[in-house]
Order: sequence, then C-alpha cells, then structure tokens
Amino acid sequence: MPHSVDPLRSAFADELQRVSSERELRALRDRYLGRKGGVVATLMKQIAAAPSGDRRLLGQLANEFKTDVERALAERQQALQDRLEPVEAVDITLPGRPIAQGRRHPLVILRDRLEDIFAELGYAVVEGPEIEDEYHNFEALNIAPDHPARDMQDTLYLNAPIDSRRGTAPPSERTRPQVDRAATLLRTHTSGMQIRYMEAHEPPIRIIAPGRVYRRDNLDLTHTPMFHQVEGLVVDESITMADLKGTLTHLLRELFGPDARALFRPTFFPYTEPSADVFVSCHACHGSGCPVCKRTGWLEILGCGMVHPAVFEAVGYDPERFGGFAFGIGIERLAMLKYGVDDIRMFYENDLRFLEQFPH
Amino acid sequence: MSWLRDFVDVREPAAELAQLLSMRGFEPGAIEGAPPGPLAPEGRHGARPRHDTAASDPSDDGVIDFEITANRPDCMNVLGIAREVSTAYGRPLAHPPAAARQTESSTAAPLAVTIEDPDLCPRYAAAVAEVTVGQSPAWLANRLLAAGVRPINTIVDVTNYVMIELGQPMHAFDLDKLEGRELRIRRARGGERLRTLDGEDRALTADMLVIADATRPQAIGGVMGGRESEVGHATRRIAFESAYFTPSSVRRTSKRLGLKTEASARFERGADIGAPVWALERACALMEAIGAGRVVGEVIDRYPAPRPPTRVRFRERVIERHLGQRVDRTEAARILRQLGFTLEDAADGWEVVVPSFRVDVTREIDLVEEVARHAGYDRLPATFPVLRAVPRPSDPRIDADRLVRRILTGAGFAEAVTFAFIESQAASAFAPAGEIVAIAHPLSEKFAVLRPSLLPGLIESVGYNRRREQRTVRLFEIGRRFRASAGETRTVGLAWSGAGSAEHWSAKPRDVDFFDLKGVVDRLCGSFRLKPSFVRFPQDAEGARYLVAGRSARIEAPDGVVLGVVGQLAPPVAETRDLPRGDDVFVAELDLDALAAATPRADVRVEPLPRFPSIARDISVLVDERLPAGRVRATILAVAPATLERVQEFDRYRGRGIPDDKTSLSLRLTFRATDRTLTDAEIEQAMAVIVFALEREHRAVRR
Ligand SMILES: [Zn+2]
Repeated sequence: MPHSVDPLRSAFADELQRVSSERELRALRDRYLGRKGGVVATLMKQIAAAPSGDRRLLGQLANEFKTDVERALAERQQALQDRLEPVEAVDITLPGRPIAQGRRHPLVILRDRLEDIFAELGYAVVEGPEIEDEYHNFEALNIAPDHPARDMQDTLYLNAPIDSRRGTAPPSERTRPQVDRAATLLRTHTSGMQIRYMEAHEPPIRIIAPGRVYRRDNLDLTHTPMFHQVEGLVVDESITMADLKGTLTHLLRELFGPDARALFRPTFFPYTEPSADVFVSCHACHGSGCPVCKRTGWLEILGCGMVHPAVFEAVGYDPERFGGFAFGIGIERLAMLKYGVDDIRMFYENDLRFLEQFPH
Repeated sequence: MSWLRDFVDVREPAAELAQLLSMRGFEPGAIEGAPPGPLAPEGRHGARPRHDTAASDPSDDGVIDFEITANRPDCMNVLGIAREVSTAYGRPLAHPPAAARQTESSTAAPLAVTIEDPDLCPRYAAAVAEVTVGQSPAWLANRLLAAGVRPINTIVDVTNYVMIELGQPMHAFDLDKLEGRELRIRRARGGERLRTLDGEDRALTADMLVIADATRPQAIGGVMGGRESEVGHATRRIAFESAYFTPSSVRRTSKRLGLKTEASARFERGADIGAPVWALERACALMEAIGAGRVVGEVIDRYPAPRPPTRVRFRERVIERHLGQRVDRTEAARILRQLGFTLEDAADGWEVVVPSFRVDVTREIDLVEEVARHAGYDRLPATFPVLRAVPRPSDPRIDADRLVRRILTGAGFAEAVTFAFIESQAASAFAPAGEIVAIAHPLSEKFAVLRPSLLPGLIESVGYNRRREQRTVRLFEIGRRFRASAGETRTVGLAWSGAGSAEHWSAKPRDVDFFDLKGVVDRLCGSFRLKPSFVRFPQDAEGARYLVAGRSARIEAPDGVVLGVVGQLAPPVAETRDLPRGDDVFVAELDLDALAAATPRADVRVEPLPRFPSIARDISVLVDERLPAGRVRATILAVAPATLERVQEFDRYRGRGIPDDKTSLSLRLTFRATDRTLTDAEIEQAMAVIVFALEREHRAVRR
C-alpha cells in the first residue's frame, strides 16, 4: 500500500527528461494519464481499496500528482513546439502569390454545355461559314424570295459578294454536287448548316451546329446585331414529332434540372412543319408566376419542328422515305435566363468584373 | 368578344380563350378588360422570323390581341379566329351574317370596270350605291374602336368593319369624282402621281398597280386610296371596291412607297380570292342595315380566269408517321371539316379540297399540321430517336478550339466576345483597303465593315476595362475575320496590357513586355506540338501596319507557313481605339486552321529517359548589341557536337563595364550522350570549337 507518491513523481520527472519528440510525449501522457491502466488511474483504484483512514490524505496526494503531471506535460508540449519554429518564420497571414486564371466567356460555357449534352446522345458537332449565300440561308430552307426576313431591313448584306468557302468546305460523302455560290450576306441563323450538312452526307444524320448569327437589329436590352445559336438536325427513316419532344424535354431537364417541364406550342417557320415554340417551366417560381417569367410560369427557350419536305427536296432526300426534326436555340437568351443577366450588351462589353464572375 | 360570338358560341372567359388559341398557334398579346392570361409569353430574342400582329376579337366586353404568324392571313379577322375557336371547342360556326340585300335590281350598275392587268389583279368586284354619309351607330363605332380603328363616316366604317370581320380589305370611291364613271385596273404610267388619303403626293412607277378612272389613278391597288375620290359627307354616290390583288405586287409597292396599311398587310400575305363578291354583299347589306345608303344596279364581278380549288391527297398513315402517334380517323376528319376543308373519302385516307382562304395549305404535310395543332401537341408522347448507325465524328476544329481555350484561360486570359463588324476607320490599320469587306446597309458607322482582324475589337475591350480601374487586362477571342481575297478565316486574338508578373507584395511589379506574350504564343503552339519561329517582318508586311517595328514578329511554323503575328500595338493605333495614353498593349493573332494543319498527325512517341548524367557549361560573350541572340544560338548549334542537348540564354547585360555598342550574353550549354558519361576533355574540346566559331562569326569576346 503506497504511503507516498514521491517515487512516482521522480520516475515521471526522469521519463519527462528523456522525451525529445511530440510522439514520445504522447506516449508518456498515455502511460500516466490513460483512462485504463494509466499510472494515475491505477493509483486511484488502489486508494479506493485502502483503509478509510488513509483514504482522504492519499486521495489528496494523488490529485496533486495528477495536476502536476498534466501541467508538466503541457509545458513540455509548448517547449517542443517552440523548438520547431524556425528562426526565419514567415508571416502566414500575408496573401499568397496569385495564380492568374482566365475564364471562358459565359456564352461559351453554355455552348460547351449544349455540345456536351448532345454529344452524349450521339450528335456530331459541326461548324459552318458565317458569311453565307442566299441559297443556303433562305432559298433551300423554303423561305420565299419575297419573305420579309430576306429584306434589307432584317438581313445584313455584303457590299460585294466574296468567296467564303476557302478552307471551310466540309468533306462530302455524297456524289451529288453541292450548291456553292459566292457569299452575299451574314447568315441570319444557323439553319443554313442543315442544308450544308445534308448536301454532304447521307442519312441517318444527327448534328448540332453552334455559331454566331447576324440580324439587322439595333443594340438594346434584349437585341444585338450579332448573337449565338445552336442548330440541331436529326434525319432518319422514322423520325417523329414525339422523338422531337423527347429529345428537347431531355435537353431542358439537363439545363434546368430534373423537375423542369416542357411546353410545345404550335407556331410557324418556313423550314419546319409542324413547328413549335418550346417553353420551360420557370425555374425561378416553378411555374406559379413571377417577374422573371412575366407571371406566365413559362419561359420561351427555343423554336423547333419537323423538317419541311421542301427542305428535303432541296437537298435531294426523298421526303417519302426520310423524316427529321430541327431546332434552334438562342444562347444569349438562355444565358440571360440561367445567369440572371438582364442587359444582353453585358455579353459583348467584356468587362472583366462581369467575366470573372463565371468560375471556370 | 361579342363580335366573336356573332359566329361561335363562347361563354368562356377571355383568359381561357387566349390559352386555348395559344395552344393552337395564336400567340395572345394583351387582353383588355380581363385579367392577364396564364400564357402570354413575350420578349423572344428574334431566334426566328418575326410574326405580325393583327388585332382581332374586338368587343364591348374584352379584347384579345393575337399575333398571327405569317402563314395565316386567314386569321387576321374575326371570322378566321371564330373558325379556330369553333374547331377547338367542337361547336358549330355560324354562317357570316346573311348577305341578302333589301333591294334587288336587274339593271346594270352605272360603272364600267376593266381589269387591264390580270396578273397583278386576278379579281375585281365592285358595286354602286346612293348614299347619305353620316356617323355610324354606336355599336358599330365601338367595335371598330375596340379593333383599334378610328370611325370616320358610315361608308368608310362599313369597309373597315367588313375587313376586320371577314378579312377582305375594301375601298369606297366617290363615284362622281371618277372621270368617265369607270375603273381601270392597270399599271401606273411613267410620271403619274397620286395624292393618297394620308395627304402624301406619291410618284408612281410602272410596276405599281393602280385603280384609275378614264384618265388618272384614283387609288394604289391594295395599298391606299386617293384623296381626290375620297368619300366625305358631301358624297352622294359611291363605288365599293372588293378585290384580290397579287401578294408579291402589293408587297413590292408597299415597300417601295414605304406605306404599310391594314389592307396591304392582308393582301401581301394572301387574301381570299373567293371572298370579294361575298364580302361586297356583306358590306352592301350592312350599309343598308344602318341606313347609310342603297345599292344601285348589280354587283360587278370581274374574274377572268377563275382558279380551281387546291386539292390535296391526305393519307391517314402519314399522321402517325410524322407525329409518332395515331389520331383517330373521325377526329382528324372532324378537325379538317370544321376548319373549312371539304373531305372526300379515299382508300388510304381522303381527297381534301382546300378552301380558298387557306392560302398556306398546298401539300399533305400542311394537313398533318392542322390535325396536330387541334389534336394537341401536349398529347404527343415523348420518345427518343433510335440510333441506327455509329455516330459521325465532330468537326475536329471544335476540339482544337477547346484546347486553345484551356491553354489561354490557364495562362490568365479571360475570353472575350466582340462584334464581327467595326468602324471602317478602326479596320483600316489592320488590312489594306481592298481587303476590307463592307456591309451594304450598316446599322450605324460603328458597324460599317467586317473585321479584317480580331484585334480591333479586343483592343477596344482592353480600353473599356482600363477606363474602369483595371490595371492589368488579359483578353483573348476565338472567332472569324473577313477579307475580300481570303474570305472567312478562323483565328484567335490575344491582348495583354498592364502588369507582366502577378502583383504581389514580395516583388516589384513589372510591366508586360514582348517576352510575356511570346511565351504565351510558344505555349499555345507547343500544345499543338509545334515549335514556332519568330521572324522579323519585312517593312511592308501586314503586321507592320499596326505593330511597333522592332517589337513585333511574324510567327512561322517549322515548314515556314505563317501562323500569325505577335508584338506591341503601335501607339497611334492604340489611341484611335480609345486606349489611355501611355498604355502599352501587346497583341497576337494566330490562324487556327493553319495551326491545326501544321500539327503533326502521328501519335506522340515516347523517347527513352536519359541514363547518363548531363554536364553544363556557362559561357558569357561580348557581342554587338544589335546581334540577335538567335544568331548566336544558330552558330553554336551549327558547330557543336551532337551531344549538345540544350542552349539556354540566362542573362543579357548592358551597363557598367560593357562598351556602349556591346552587350554581354550568357548562355548555359548542356551536354549529354545517350551511351556514356561524357568526359571533361570532350566537353572542353566542344567548348573550344564553339568559342572559336563565335569569335569568327560574330567577333565575340569571351568574358
Ligand atoms: Zn416565374
């Protein structure tokens, strides 16, 4: 039966002396203060079993010992840490050296996203010329010569025709000669790529064609003379409007989340029939009506339809054998909705304070 | 809406009606006198051709405006909308108010009508009436007001009423003002003029159709009447006109004169060639009903070559083929019949007779659309097209562009998008005048020509940011430039202004210089597995027009193909682009297709890692200060043994201890053999050869 803790004290002091690392210090702490089998815990157990007369004094001595061990360990810990500090310490609160990181343009972020969504569905991504001829931009798309879209008021024509196809002609797998004329205008939509691709390829076809398009619109909050579109075209023997609905509903869910609903409303385009305007349920109010959707619950996202037989005839496809759908998405509008941009001009000012808000 | 109820039984509220028609292709605009509908989206960013607005459905209890798409002129009136409503609800469509006239006459009307140009006017109907011109009754005036038409007098109001109700534009002449009491429908003659109802005196040309009396034009066919024969309160006798004019002719004339009217808007989209007589009778009946006049003589109808109705074969199976779902045969037939089509059963479907007002329906697919519209797009299932073949590859340029983006954003450049058209003054420094492609009718001077380079737009964006407290601006753009001879070229442009190194408390900031941007170009070319050469421009070269001589270079691929240019923007050019004075901007532009074409096609082949140590030797030489380091390097490479692995310039020094016209160039030469450890003797011999060559070629002095 112990009557003093002195031998324990001196043993501890010796051991503490020999400690030279934090690992050893942790081991020492465990040996003395460990809950099970630690020196102090064992001591307490022995005291509990001692005659009641000795118990109080012994308990007091043991508690003092425990407190001293704790203090000594803490001091030693601090000393070890101090020893680790190098002589030339750095001020870790000073700013780190910045790594310059640029950003993709928000319109490109969305364009890339659209490309990726459709690439997963087996679509090829293709590009075409921005200066176009009237045949590919209008005529082959069933847009009559006196259609208002062909007006000087809406379309930007070049002063003199130029050859746009230098180095941009797609490789052709068809023997049918492609129509090639000098470019006279800036394309008003990416739909001309439907014609260019079909001229060069046999069905089945699944493509998207992103790119810049031009209209004779003055700059304001929602209009610019240049903007971006993504055109889609699918042609095969049994393509139906139900396929169009399924594909675009998938697109809207990818863009606006799994709860997004799609609404298809009849409209008119010369190069598709039947045609539809496509709306997505407003992501801001989930369809109940708010300022974003002008209280309608719906946001207009894109135009689409079944490829008009006159378009198939223009590229020498048999409309009795093939069917297809096409769609066109305005990227600016999508970006404005998704990112809450209410002035379209911000996309072209290239203000770094704007661009740097997009994280990658 | 009460007007609509003349034709079809509608008890539903305006908002519900708007929703119903919206889902059948008629976009509702504002609803007056009723709460906004649940579906009135607006503000599309012109992704497709714009549609035209047509008022319809006026009433005393609510007005709905619909946007009528360009293919549906038959719905630019109350009856057309009523027909859609009746089909949608499956309710009967009332016949338009009886055209029975109160006075019957077998005498000829006191008016001669001659169509001289049946190409531009295939049908012309007219009637004569004795009138007492006054104010229209309130119900009629109110309906016109609701439709956005100002009431004028009984006769003019009747013509407008019939146009809004049935879609047939009409006109009324003061008969006593018509010389010879005749109407000749002919082309205008050279030099003829007409003062139109709006008071403008208009010069007419030979391709315009006019309605003339014996001597001169009294109206421009399908566009506007003339002031002289205008119906006013003093008018005693009138001639009603109800005609069909060829759409392209009306469009051309209206555009040429800059004169758009309710009439021209209807004619140019295609009016109903079957309507003129019927609408005229409706107008006469209405005139008599409101006591405004009495018809004299018979209705005149000039229709020299009546058009047979369009007939379309409609196979039932094509509905499912296009829609992906069957529509019940009787339902499809009901929809078409209610829309005014006549159906004759055929073995595989129907033989469809198209009513004359449906100018948009000419082929089978048009009928599929009619069935789809009324069967409802929302009833179609959502399926996926079956993939029957291996997908074709994407355009490789897409991936190449993404690589460029990764490199440049990694190098700290933010991506810009600028307009493809710029001021011609801004373009002039970047290409010879003959290369610049101009726009025929630019929106403004700011958008006058297509950019011959991506740089003017980027430089403007740099200035925009510099004026907004941004010290360092790094921008790039991937896009097309346009030149008369080369057409369209895909390039990447870069611009860097401000600090060259990251701003940090640990070091003095350094301004961007040529070598910062050269390093980026090297890195970019490196990711296309190219080691470019930087070559001094000839004086007349293109880049020399806008870059500082001596701080610019042409970028060439190993085979000598020009990839682009890099250098400091000439300060005069910078100033014209609104850059703050004193701002140095370094720019580069590379042809992306040339870059891709110069890229090696073969896969990367890994080289074995070195097994023997390298030995490095530093050498410092004094050379003429204008001697390019590239020539020193070339001399070394020419004489050194194959074991010279690398030449690295590590210092270039001028100043204390260096003569004024000299510079001290320090290079580190690294030697290594693949099969052994090199000996000191080998290295010393190589160095001796190199030093000798440098002394001989460049009169270099070793320090
Ligand atoms: Zn909302």
